[in-house]
Amino acid sequence: MIHALRAGACGIPFMPVGGLWGSDLVAQRPEFFQIMKSPFEGEPVVCVKALIPDYAIVHVQEADIYGNCRILGPTFQDILLTRAAKKTIITTERLVGTYRMQEEPKLTAIPHFIVEAVVELPGGAKPGICYPEYLTVDWDDYKTYQGAVKAGEVPKFAEEVLKRRA
Amino acid sequence: MEYGKDYGKAEMMAVAIIREIKEGDVVFHGLASPTPMVAMKVAKALGKEFTYLTLTDGVDHDWSLPPYSASTLTDNTYEGSVATFGLDSIFDLFCSGKGDIALLSCLQMDKEGRIAMSYLGGDYEHPKLRGPGGAGSASLAPVTPRTTIWKTGHDKRIFVEHVDFATTSPALDKMFTVITTLCIFRKAPGQKYLRLDCIFPYTTMQEVKDNTGWEIEETEVTVMEPPTAEELAAIKEVDVNNILAFEFK
Repeated sequence: MIHALRAGACGIPFMPVGGLWGSDLVAQRPEFFQIMKSPFEGEPVVCVKALIPDYAIVHVQEADIYGNCRILGPTFQDILLTRAAKKTIITTERLVGTYRMQEEPKLTAIPHFIVEAVVELPGGAKPGICYPEYLTVDWDDYKTYQGAVKAGEVPKFAEEVLKRRA
Repeated sequence: MEYGKDYGKAEMMAVAIIREIKEGDVVFHGLASPTPMVAMKVAKALGKEFTYLTLTDGVDHDWSLPPYSASTLTDNTYEGSVATFGLDSIFDLFCSGKGDIALLSCLQMDKEGRIAMSYLGGDYEHPKLRGPGGAGSASLAPVTPRTTIWKTGHDKRIFVEHVDFATTSPALDKMFTVITTLCIFRKAPGQKYLRLDCIFPYTTMQEVKDNTGWEIEETEVTVMEPPTAEELAAIKEVDVNNILAFEFK
């Protein structure tokens, strides 16, 4: 998945991947995995097809109104996602002034010019974790969310959560 | 140390994991891995010099923070890190031969060390049980010098004659180790099949044979030393919330 997103982010149709040898997944998903020969030495390489999401929706701790973002905790594959997706929507714990980015430009993980929209949404990663704002999973809400997914009632769940927080 | 009094299966497994680590190793474990997480912190407490990478991007976090959750994604494996190194970088590191141990688990395994992580029963599209999948295992197991599987159980439903759909298979040219609640299996470079390496003090060859779905050919193996007083004290010191017990309930 990471390499597929990398291919998407680089604008190339596929990406060779390390590992994956001996996995039945390769034969199971030919639309995603293929084996090719290295054009250099001829050794076989597993390749994954590029993945270009329509949207990346990424929750961050700090963003300015232009979409410059700082991620203060683990980044996981969030940065890569924003590079691969056609459009990126940011939700943020809080809006900060652009001066915050100018203090330490290297800490701006996502720059404004690849961001489509910024939504100020404190608690936006709940019932999950957003380091260091809230550190544990809210299991009650998580189970309710799971139930809502199974029942196809996510919009209703979201509405209730927002009402509770208002 | 006496089994049932001073230690149980959880402590023995944690100690077996710790003993796999050599000075200078770069060690990684994945999601939902409370047993390796506690083991790694305890290994640090025992003074082992190694690099501990986790899924939170954290590198050598402050091991003295007691785990408070079975999740391996919290601040508990991030606070006090000396650097961040994301999962994509971790995969690259191992693929380029610079990692040492990846601690992975499985739903089922067969004699060749082929691992089912995707599903059990039925077929790929209509499984009886959908597993967590195997992006991590499938990428890491073939390239990791010492893939180490930990499984908090040992019976014929887990260790089967043949795995239907192998999410990943061990590399033929690398060391592959399986730590269960009863014993350790190993497949050395060049070997095709797992061999019984040692059994834990509280079990017997017969019990291991009776609970393994393939025929074990070894007739005599060593018995692992029980946890030492020092190892048990380190577990108590680090794991004050007894997160190690999570997978052994």
